[in-house]
Amino acid sequence: MALLRLVLPLLLLAALWEGAVALLHISPFYLPPLRQVLGAIHALWPAYAQAFMVTLGEAVVGFVAGALVGVASAAAFHHARWLRDMLFPLFIASQTVPVIAFGAIVVLWFGNTLMAKAAIAFYLTFFPVTVNALAGMEAVDPRQVALLRSFGASRRDIWWKLLLPSALPRIFTALRLSAGLALAGAIVGEWFGASIGVGAMLLAALFNEQVVAMWAAILAAAAVGGTIFGVVALVEARLVFWRDEL
Amino acid sequence: MLTVGAAAGPRAKLQLNGVSRHFGAVQALAKVDLGIAEGEFVTLIGPSGCGKSTLFNIVAGLLEADKGGEVLLDGAAASLLGKVAFMPQRDLLLPWRNVLDNAILAAEIEGQPKRAARETARSMAADFGLKGFEGHYPQQLSGGMRQRVALMRTFMFDRDVMLLDEPFGALDALTRAMMQRWLLDIWSRYRRTILFITHDIDEAIFLGDRVVVMSARPGSIKLERRIELPRPRDPALLTTPEFNAIKRELLDAVEEESLKTFAAGAV
Repeated sequence: MALLRLVLPLLLLAALWEGAVALLHISPFYLPPLRQVLGAIHALWPAYAQAFMVTLGEAVVGFVAGALVGVASAAAFHHARWLRDMLFPLFIASQTVPVIAFGAIVVLWFGNTLMAKAAIAFYLTFFPVTVNALAGMEAVDPRQVALLRSFGASRRDIWWKLLLPSALPRIFTALRLSAGLALAGAIVGEWFGASIGVGAMLLAALFNEQVVAMWAAILAAAAVGGTIFGVVALVEARLVFWRDEL
Repeated sequence: MLTVGAAAGPRAKLQLNGVSRHFGAVQALAKVDLGIAEGEFVTLIGPSGCGKSTLFNIVAGLLEADKGGEVLLDGAAASLLGKVAFMPQRDLLLPWRNVLDNAILAAEIEGQPKRAARETARSMAADFGLKGFEGHYPQQLSGGMRQRVALMRTFMFDRDVMLLDEPFGALDALTRAMMQRWLLDIWSRYRRTILFITHDIDEAIFLGDRVVVMSARPGSIKLERRIELPRPRDPALLTTPEFNAIKRELLDAVEEESLKTFAAGAV
């Protein structure tokens, strides 16, 4: 049933694509038929599979690191007001640097490595996670904290048993948002000279004016984004099953 | 019969001597003297904003009293945090924990192994009217059941003194009456020293060995009234002349204080 809900819209979209191209006589330069795009992927399957895996790896490493650092920063900021007053403005300032400019610097630092792309994905992920996790922790009922303290709870207990679980719904909101951002970060990173990956394929197709290959790369990118988003949604459903009841 | 600010005899389990508390310029509590004997059920009533919650937070160890006052547990002055079982007005159950895991929260924080704590909770579930609901989540329970889970959590935090802050305040009248009788039943079996805050005079008399009336702010003990009604108590008691005589007496005291609060513009 859940699978059907997932597959049905995709099939609908595919039918719409094919139908529109055929019925409206859209030039393949603007939108090639889906069959042709899928055919291109099929013909070069190993290359696309490799690109998918490479970009997924870059995005996931950055995404996971961003999530962990985001939650940890939020915990630190919640804990120590002075730290927050000191560092939070820096966090915000960091986000005003355009990701393209940041990408150029990172590639200078790390060279053409997985780390370079992961760093950009990280850069886009950690900020929304920090902000949302912090908001989640600040929203905890102080009476709830007082109750745990009356049981003799240490700060550590309060963090693990109350603050973190309470913040989970908002953390996951940020993670779903960041799934797409991390992918965008990885793709931008690949534009600075990478030869493998969905972003590299996209750029190569653009330079060679291979419209079908561009669309194929876009589908591959969507597959990467969908995979990350799907995993986040699955974990969220398991961990935050009580969310709707709040 | 009518004593003001007296201690509860030589064997006070919990003893407050001259406990005051300021918040900035506002004096919330002024020299509260109160003694509670071991195994005694004391109910506390008073007008809104009289500092009841401040008093509770001090006894729970969540707030410090001003210098000069002391809170003694078994005759010793020490930090009370973690020494008394505190139950706030709202049940404050955690939505991601089921009934058993909510009930063992305090025990778990104390370092009891989860498995053993769950076993204890399972064996107590029937007493608390929660048999068959051990795996339910708070959002699946009625208000009365949620309150019983919170009470079970308080009982599982195995302390001699229990502080209950209007635990039945949010329940409808029928559920509330049932919960009162049930609490007395549980209390007679587990035998704890209880300090119970309420707004409801009937509830205060029906439950307590002694009713303590607090004055308008700054809160202090206005009067204490021993309730010598026989136990076990049943609802028919609420309509007896003895009950009504006590109620009349307490009502006068509470109303006088409420009027003061009203005149001060605090309500």
